[in-house]
Amino acid sequence: MIRIEVLSHDDDGRAIKIENILKNSGKTASVRIVDVYTSENPKASSHEFTTSLTNPITQKLNDFPNNFDWALEIGYLPGVTDNTGHTAQELLKLAGGENDTTCYSSRLFLIKGDLEKQDIELLATTLSNKLIQRASIKSRKEFNKDGGMDIIIPKVHLENKDISADDINLDISNEELETIGSKGIANKDGSRRGPLGMSLLYMQAVKEYFIKKGRPAKDIELETIAQTWSEHCKHTIFASPLDEIKDGIYKHYIKRATQEIRAKRGNDDICVSVFSDNAGAIIFDENWLITDKVETHNSPSALDPFGGAITGIVGVNRDCLGFGMGAKPIINRYGYCLAPVQTSQKHLPFKKENNKETEKVTIPQYYRDKNLKTPILSPETIMNGVIQGVEVGGNCSGIPTPQGFVYFDKRYVGKPLIFVGTIGLIPREINNKPSHKKQARPGDKIIMLGGRVGRDGIHGATFSSVALDEGSPATAVQIGDPITQKKFSDALIKEVRDMGLYSAITDNGAGGLSSSVGEMGEQSGGFHVELEKVPLKYPGMAPWEIWISESQERMTLAAPTENTDKIIALLAKRGVEATVIGTYTNTNRAHITYKKETIMDMDMDFLHNGIPETPLTSSFTLNDKSEPNISEPTDYAQTLKDMLGRLNICSKEFIATQYDHTVQGTAVLGSLQGSGRIYAETSITKPVFSSPKGIVLSQGLAPRYSDIDTYHMATAALDTAIRNAVAAGVDFKQLAILDNFCWCSSDEPERLGQLKRAAEAIYNLSVLYETPFISGKDSMFNDFKGFDENGDQIKISVPPTLLISSIGIIDNIKYSISLEPKAVGDFIFLLGETKDELGASEYYNMHGHLGQNVPQVDGEKNLQLYTLYGKAAREEMISSAISIGLGGLGVALAKKAIAGQLGLNIDLSNFDLRTDKLLFSESQGRILVTVSPYNIEPFKQAFEGFSDIHLIGQVTDDDVLNINNVLEAEIKVLEEAYKTPLENY
Amino acid sequence: MTARVIVLSGYGLNCEEETLHAFKCNGFSGSIRHINDLIENPKELDNIQILAIPGGFSYGDDTGSGNAFAQKMKLAIWDDLQKFVERDTLTLGICNGCQILANLGLVPGFKKDYGDRLVAVTHNVSARYQCRWVNIKTGKTKSPWFKNIKSMHIPVAHGEGRFMMKKETLKELKKNNQIAARYIKSDGSNADGEFPYNPNGSIEDIAAITDQSGKVLAIMPHPERAMFTWQRDDYHKIKDQAQRNGKNILKTSDGMTIFKNAATYFDTSIKK
Repeated sequence: MIRIEVLSHDDDGRAIKIENILKNSGKTASVRIVDVYTSENPKASSHEFTTSLTNPITQKLNDFPNNFDWALEIGYLPGVTDNTGHTAQELLKLAGGENDTTCYSSRLFLIKGDLEKQDIELLATTLSNKLIQRASIKSRKEFNKDGGMDIIIPKVHLENKDISADDINLDISNEELETIGSKGIANKDGSRRGPLGMSLLYMQAVKEYFIKKGRPAKDIELETIAQTWSEHCKHTIFASPLDEIKDGIYKHYIKRATQEIRAKRGNDDICVSVFSDNAGAIIFDENWLITDKVETHNSPSALDPFGGAITGIVGVNRDCLGFGMGAKPIINRYGYCLAPVQTSQKHLPFKKENNKETEKVTIPQYYRDKNLKTPILSPETIMNGVIQGVEVGGNCSGIPTPQGFVYFDKRYVGKPLIFVGTIGLIPREINNKPSHKKQARPGDKIIMLGGRVGRDGIHGATFSSVALDEGSPATAVQIGDPITQKKFSDALIKEVRDMGLYSAITDNGAGGLSSSVGEMGEQSGGFHVELEKVPLKYPGMAPWEIWISESQERMTLAAPTENTDKIIALLAKRGVEATVIGTYTNTNRAHITYKKETIMDMDMDFLHNGIPETPLTSSFTLNDKSEPNISEPTDYAQTLKDMLGRLNICSKEFIATQYDHTVQGTAVLGSLQGSGRIYAETSITKPVFSSPKGIVLSQGLAPRYSDIDTYHMATAALDTAIRNAVAAGVDFKQLAILDNFCWCSSDEPERLGQLKRAAEAIYNLSVLYETPFISGKDSMFNDFKGFDENGDQIKISVPPTLLISSIGIIDNIKYSISLEPKAVGDFIFLLGETKDELGASEYYNMHGHLGQNVPQVDGEKNLQLYTLYGKAAREEMISSAISIGLGGLGVALAKKAIAGQLGLNIDLSNFDLRTDKLLFSESQGRILVTVSPYNIEPFKQAFEGFSDIHLIGQVTDDDVLNINNVLEAEIKVLEEAYKTPLENY
Repeated sequence: MTARVIVLSGYGLNCEEETLHAFKCNGFSGSIRHINDLIENPKELDNIQILAIPGGFSYGDDTGSGNAFAQKMKLAIWDDLQKFVERDTLTLGICNGCQILANLGLVPGFKKDYGDRLVAVTHNVSARYQCRWVNIKTGKTKSPWFKNIKSMHIPVAHGEGRFMMKKETLKELKKNNQIAARYIKSDGSNADGEFPYNPNGSIEDIAAITDQSGKVLAIMPHPERAMFTWQRDDYHKIKDQAQRNGKNILKTSDGMTIFKNAATYFDTSIKK
């Protein structure tokens, strides 16, 4: 066993970061970083290899400083993806290593300072996650006595010889069936293999099927059915009859909206592929389509935020690669719904003595287990981890990430919502055939390519369909490997695709091969897989594990036999492994053999359509709420600062600057706008150098509005997503949306009633706006079931959350509009009506109230505004624009002043709402714009006939936001309030 | 004559398309070449005038940014590379390409002694990826890449952009006028290591260096992301001002000059 230790110089940024972590907990220490590589290959001690790991200017090989007090080493547990180890392995091969060149990486921190062991243990928990990593600690004394750290080879050993598929007798009692469904198949030692997530009704249907077949089920068959029928894959709640809606919510509201809109728009239909593929697609121009898909990766991110988020983003990249014949990922989106995190102390947005609820809600510690041994991760750990996961996934893949949001509510504490999305670009025709059409044909070979299969992610699909609790399996956690994916992504999209060598492609996501081969087999009418041909990370995996493993970075192709060698050879030249693992058939059988023995043989029809219908019923009670009685603020400048510092409003610039948003050279309008760098909600990208067209992206969500009425929550989300894009200049007629429902307790009639109302709401509004849905995803059980500090059982459900993402086209990027005012003397107009609508607003929340008057969308009026606005935008008469969202007009005015670093002089005396309501109402359908004096008359004419156009002020050069008789605040003071809360992240 | 450029790809490099586009805008012919294809046919280097290693994340920055890719090139095609830079050619490494050139020892290449690793491009002091627009000013250089460039408004996007080297290396670089560009503040004064003007803590605010001949350029900021005015972070302001003044905006921006200079060097600029 060979261990190579590479000591970094004494001013390494990575070490400074750890010194700062210690400093924040009141400890002074200096840290040195040692990168460690371990291997069993004798060549690993060679000079060629060790020097290839060492930078001669900044690093020293096998050299230790004398002055450290503690040594902390963090490495991966066996079987966890180790990307640095993989690269070291490549270097070892280059250095002449033969046979097994596996390398493992770990990192050693040498810490000097007056610290106790428990301080180091605490640091270890901050720097590592025990689900995937090991941490070892030695004092200097122990280190010297042992002659250094221990050499650990985290190799996977599976004690499975001659393993095959087991027979499972299903001719058993309902009780036993239920146990298998909820806890999994029993192993010989009595332990269970992990939840199948199957209800008794489903288990009975399976039992009946195998009784008819006259044989016991195989474990792999049962696991396959569980994957295929899972909520995650079949969206059973959206598909099931609900009350009088016999065709289910999805068909009745979402799909029907799109169908009706497409029919109505006829030749103006922008949709090309909706709901049927891995992503939805609309027309970009005469040569290109753009695709979009937004996914959630909630459950894994709660356990391992970094791994969950990186797996999520590279996973949704594959949805793009798996669209049609393969689209090129060109933009990433993100969105995080999290519990409140600590803000910078020096400018606490609230003072307790004001008797308001402080913004920093102290989050109690919750546990996954009754014995309080497994605490859930802190909001800060989750936030930092998910941000970093998307950073590494997106940046390493060379995909710009300009678009996203963070939303805080304490009910996301146990189950954060992690949204990730990818926009793709694909020629409309490839080899003279429409690129969005594909079909696996009988006789085509099944090719699996990319990473190898390990035990990672077993039961991911069924796991994400159940609530997070004590029994949540750790094998569901995995880490993405963006470079492996980048290699095949380039090879497929830039080379193989256009050679016309394959008939169909899809990604391996939830359910692994069982899903990808299963879905493509539906196209041809069956499949035969020879499972022993699947390349594995390590020996000893059971057939069912190979089949449902969710090991990342894999695609599945269907290709004619005569092309397979060519594909495999080309991919090999790009460092990508590809293997023929079977054949698509038209036998209507889902057939798997393992070493020639049949271990699965089911009818395709049963597998895909045998799922029993579960009629659902709902109820809905509109809670009796009332408006609070809040006294009017005496110091409006302070109130505005308090609002700007709220977590849902303040700047998230630190996220924007660590996400590469300029790669591919396509960014037009980014995540930070104006010289004052406002964290914006809309971005514009010009994806094709030869075309002046741009892609406009935004999103909307309003989870807290659900506390009053999910109908208005849903319309606010949809209107916001559209309004944001409209404000930036999108062509309203070339706009589409995506829905992501993240619900809770979807087995309760009240929650289903809320769901039905939300779905009805977005049906109504989207049809009115004629804005089609092109893709969507739902996640129905975002509940955390655990224990509080007293060991009492608790359940925390997320507020019903609907994310609407918008994607549209702007015909020429010169029509695009950023949010910062551009010149002194410009006029400021408020477009849209401000009503007494502060129910569930940030303002009421700041005062600890919910209220009743939730913003209600006036669709007809907004439609008129958005249409007129689009025309004015194309005539380039709007100099800047911001869509008014959380925090209302007051926050929008402040953001504009900060963005432009220009003063605003505002007069609101013509409105007859109480001033705080006027400033902080969250009425929908409003846009705040500036117009140059030169354009003022044409602008007014453009909005003729629209009742709610209000001239409210002018841009000034005096660095102050002045609202006559209300407040006067220096821009730098507002800027500090806006930028301080999260500045230390 | 039509000068030919090859832009490398593979193993996580990712800016090859926009980098090739920048060259093509200036009259070059050329193509993207996967590193494995170049290794298979290294003689292709004999027939091109420019080798560009674009930005990206080769090998995920594991074992140090640019390290593994450089090791691979060094083992497989070092002799051909050396021959290439000794001919009358230009070499460009942007971001990850810059890190690769440093690890290959193609910069600083004192006295054409290529191959020595004397400069490290390592973790930002913030230990965080930084994607932001910065300003750089041209140092004392006779590099053809920087002809007629005084300063540039240009984006950086990297986790490891901090130039580090021994004192004597720095001295030698200065003596030979090999520091091509430094980070400055928006008012034109030295960044003096101050974040975010100097986004990575680079020694003496170094943003780009060349070999001693000036023909091999290793630059951390991304000129190919600042080719056109519409790519700029202040595009909307520029557009708005132009409209008020009844003028058209300039189509190209600072970064384009780098590629134009290469075209001038080989006299391939598009005759319109």
